[in-house]
Amino acid sequence: MDRARGAERDYVNTRHQILCVWSGVLCPIVMFTGLWPMAGFFPPHHPTASAADIAAIYQQGTSGIRLGMIFIMLAGALNVPFVAAIAAQMLRIESGRTPVLSMTQLGAGAAGALLFIIPALIWTAAAFRPDRPADITLALNDIGWISFVMPFTLAVVQNCAIGLAIVSDRNAQPVFPRWLGFFNFWVVLLFLPGGLLTFFKTGPFAWNGLLAFWVPATVFGAWYFVMAAFVIKAARQQAA
Amino acid sequence: MSLWRLVRARTSVVWLLLVAATALSWKLSHGLGLAEPRDAGCAVLVVAFIKVRLVIMDFMEIRGAPLAMRLAGETWVLLMAAALIALYLGALQ
Amino acid sequence: MRPISSALDTTARGVPLPDRPPRHLPGEAGIWLFICGDLLVFSLFFVTFLYYRGQELALFRAARLHLDQGLGALNTLFMLSSSWFVASGVRAVRGGAARMAPYCFALAWACGCGFGVVKFFEYRAKIRAGITLNTNDFYMYYYMFTGIHFMHVLIGMGVLAFLTRYTWRGACDARKIRNIESGASFWHVVDLLWIVLFALLYLIP
Repeated sequence: MDRARGAERDYVNTRHQILCVWSGVLCPIVMFTGLWPMAGFFPPHHPTASAADIAAIYQQGTSGIRLGMIFIMLAGALNVPFVAAIAAQMLRIESGRTPVLSMTQLGAGAAGALLFIIPALIWTAAAFRPDRPADITLALNDIGWISFVMPFTLAVVQNCAIGLAIVSDRNAQPVFPRWLGFFNFWVVLLFLPGGLLTFFKTGPFAWNGLLAFWVPATVFGAWYFVMAAFVIKAARQQAA
Repeated sequence: MSLWRLVRARTSVVWLLLVAATALSWKLSHGLGLAEPRDAGCAVLVVAFIKVRLVIMDFMEIRGAPLAMRLAGETWVLLMAAALIALYLGALQ
Repeated sequence: MRPISSALDTTARGVPLPDRPPRHLPGEAGIWLFICGDLLVFSLFFVTFLYYRGQELALFRAARLHLDQGLGALNTLFMLSSSWFVASGVRAVRGGAARMAPYCFALAWACGCGFGVVKFFEYRAKIRAGITLNTNDFYMYYYMFTGIHFMHVLIGMGVLAFLTRYTWRGACDARKIRNIESGASFWHVVDLLWIVLFALLYLIP
């Protein structure tokens, strides 16, 4: 009997699942550490800052920026196991059906990991030769911030997939509470204003604005912790 | 349930009130009786939130919802109306 | 011995009061989480708008005059009427007249279409006059907030189309009614948000 249960537990692989979830808990923490104490990129640079100002930032904080970017790249990678852990539980929701939503989530979430890594690489390039012409540094900085704050589309697809899966859970014992699906839909809503930062250099919709940056960033961080708690709960329930 | 019974309901009265309130706020915005723009603006905001409260209580049925939700609804309407009127008046200083 | 009844259940003479309908929240808990979250976000929008308006009062006041209040009012009527249709649809489903419900939701959807058509003409007229997202701060808020609201309208119209099909078959059990109520509640929020936007953007002098 114990052997059978042990085999069951091995099949469920709770330990690895929880490991993957912890990777997701670390992701926003590592990202924030890289962004702020190290690179000093928090609060975000002002879109109307002059080329000279931006160049000065890279010249004065070079080492911190270089190190911080490595952390952000790490955060991007830490995203992937977390996305997989969510997908694993979504597969339970979709068991018996073709698991399109789980695959959508996995695809969108994995692609999303690049959205941390690419800006970090670009900012790294900017910090690689801080004494280059200021306009070039400004352009690289722009590309970095735009690719960091703007791409909301993948997150929309990812969270909609999660939300849709949760609210259409037909299992006798649902994997996640139904309200968590609506929580994911709400998070999608909060990401939307960020997508229009391309039109603005000041105000709440600019890349350093209240509605395009601060609100989505806060919600983004909170989403990791909320989802982590429920994925761990679901994984434990799976093994029980 | 006949068509008439469907129409003869609280929700229909609420709709009429909402339309009337819309007409009223339109008039207020064009200066009905209230010379000062600040008074007109406040009146418009008050009427707007009366409309909002009607939608919440009668269309969304919070009037008959558990008391915690009802309290939350009434509180939000009050707080929002107060905050927006305060900001509106604050701007006119 | 007579059981002790609660003071609320009987009059002073011990005559039982008629049963009060139990308190009921329409729809499921999750949709209310979403609705409250949505209202929170828009509350932030409204406060942000009035705050920045205070910083550039003359600009905002002048810019408002280019808005077509008539179209705004027409849109308000579309929204209010669509909500009435939705509320009637829910009542139909609960009152055993489920066959009327699809028509109610379809009419609500039509009102949504009317709203969309008006918005199309409104935006087009503005853009032709050279007024865009970047013209000034007032119009930034105008386009962004009415735009995000319009996205809600589009999603809501999807929900209404779904409800029309969902109630086509007739009889609805408790679970179905709850789902219909959830969709209806979302649509009422769309109406509610427009009421405030109309006041803030179009009306306040």
